[in-house]
Amino acid sequence: MTLGVAFLLVVLGFLAGGFGALAGLGGGIILTPVLAIYFHLPIHQAIGISLLSVIATSTATSSQYVEHHVTDVRLGMTLELATTMGALIAALVAQHMNRRTLAVLFVCFLAYSAASMVKKAWGSRQEEHQTTVPDYKVRNYPLGLGASLIAGGLSGLLGIGGGPIKVPVMYLFMKVPLRVATATSNFMIGVTAATSAYIYWGRGDMKTSVAIAAPLVGGVFAGSLLGARLAPKVKTFYILVLLIVVMGWLAAEMLYKVVTGGLS
Amino acid sequence: MKQERAATDHILALTLKIGAYTAFALIVAGVLLQFVTPFGSKITLAGVLVLLATPVLRIIVAGVQFVRERDMKYALVSLGVLCIVVLAYFLGIQT
Repeated sequence: MTLGVAFLLVVLGFLAGGFGALAGLGGGIILTPVLAIYFHLPIHQAIGISLLSVIATSTATSSQYVEHHVTDVRLGMTLELATTMGALIAALVAQHMNRRTLAVLFVCFLAYSAASMVKKAWGSRQEEHQTTVPDYKVRNYPLGLGASLIAGGLSGLLGIGGGPIKVPVMYLFMKVPLRVATATSNFMIGVTAATSAYIYWGRGDMKTSVAIAAPLVGGVFAGSLLGARLAPKVKTFYILVLLIVVMGWLAAEMLYKVVTGGLS
Repeated sequence: MKQERAATDHILALTLKIGAYTAFALIVAGVLLQFVTPFGSKITLAGVLVLLATPVLRIIVAGVQFVRERDMKYALVSLGVLCIVVLAYFLGIQT
């Protein structure tokens, strides 16, 4: 690998990690398509590399939320029973899925995430930053576990964190405050992504990619550490709008590649 | 906030922080050194392995902490998560 490519990967990781942490997003949703489309990596390899970045974001940012008691560690551990199970099954299944099916699934998830962010962007215009965590009692565990199983499955299939599935379910149905739901989802993502990463690693989809993954993950670390620090001070509205545009573009590009058969 | 819960949060945050910064330092050092010496890629690999190991370490630390708090329900939950992750590791090697 040349110095130029390594530098490009660091910058890409930094942006994905930074904006991801600011918007409460793993960054995997940006990285998998960018690696597949612009770096011409096979999609299975792109997913494996993206999983490493997702672990990096989660590890780097969740320590702060845990330290400040925003994360519900017990709820997180309970739901991890389901996310890891989903990730395990999906990572095994993904190996037998062809790249077009995976790409189409990815496009669907990109569209869904972009749509859910439109809603979030709209809400962020009025909402004040919550500083304290109100008292709450977690409800509806079965639904939460079911959603976590699906989120974990998508994580293993697509190399993402699955936050856009878990956060709304925790917030709307389990009656967990939004800030706690976001922090707890972020906390769970590391373990979930690690579960499927072990399977990708064992298959050899990742050993060959360490050279590509390392500069990217280095950038992701730096970006998400900075992003998590800035998050409470920055107005998220414009960041969300920017990410929605990027995600829309990536979805369109990926769909175009699927239709024209240009995906390697 | 119960005292015990605060202690658990603190030790978990510390585990995550140490894992994150160690992996970050090794990966950055390795990426820079690989342009100078072939040994650089070994350091990079070590960094990636630390990154992969941190979530598992975090489960173990949480489990031990729950046992110390005599919270057997969540100690078992942690053990369950650990079993699934370890199973994934062995399935990954085998297939």
